[in-house]
Amino acid sequence: MTNELDPGKIAELLTQGTRQLDAATVSALVGARQNALKRQSVRAPAFSLAAASPQGLARWANRLTPHSAQAWIAALLLVAILATGTSFWQSAQEQQIGELDVAILTDDLPIEVFVD
Amino acid sequence: MQSFVPVRIQNHIVAVFFLLCLISAPTGAAAQSWRSLTPTQREALAPMVQQWDNLPELQRRRLLDTAKHYSRLTPEQKQRYHDRLAKWSKLTPEQREAARKKYRAFNKVPEKEREQVKRMVREQEANKAAAVPPDSAAR
Repeated sequence: MTNELDPGKIAELLTQGTRQLDAATVSALVGARQNALKRQSVRAPAFSLAAASPQGLARWANRLTPHSAQAWIAALLLVAILATGTSFWQSAQEQQIGELDVAILTDDLPIEVFVD
Repeated sequence: MQSFVPVRIQNHIVAVFFLLCLISAPTGAAAQSWRSLTPTQREALAPMVQQWDNLPELQRRRLLDTAKHYSRLTPEQKQRYHDRLAKWSKLTPEQREAARKKYRAFNKVPEKEREQVKRMVREQEANKAAAVPPDSAAR
């Protein structure tokens, strides 16, 4: 007894099966398909080779440029806060190094102990 | 800047920006010549008088940082500071950085062990000082 699966026959059986579905089920399936298609959107990559072109760069520059007085103030304040923070951090580092150098220069142990 | 930003606001933004930049500028960034040092700084850095004006800017700044602590040192520490200053300034920046690392690491060692090391170093120094020079001269 041969029990081969004929693709044409399978398709026919499936078609017959779907014809037998009741209207509510078909409607629910159609709705689900529509919803899935709506959610699927074509997403452009955040960084692409297109951005490397002059137009792409101009678009990025336009996006990054503040477009209102408030945005300008926020951007400049951010820059200034970053600069201030970096400066204070550097100053604290320098102060620590100064304290360390004094400690080495005045320690009981000669500096040769710490120098290779 | 875009033209839709009112001129008055533009001026305020620029003023605030420059003010913050001025505040954030590192203090004492400019190299100081020996003549511009205060008497206290000159006293602290006296062993460096000859080479001071030829030292790199960063080194001068670092030495000035150490000089800030000079007035609080004991007479014995002041003496050590003066004795070691010239040698310290002759080291390369890498050697100084390595010394700082070693000093930091040494200070993390338990005090008991640190005292042992100090005792050993003192003994070595005493032995060196007691070594008789004619021994080597006789050869």
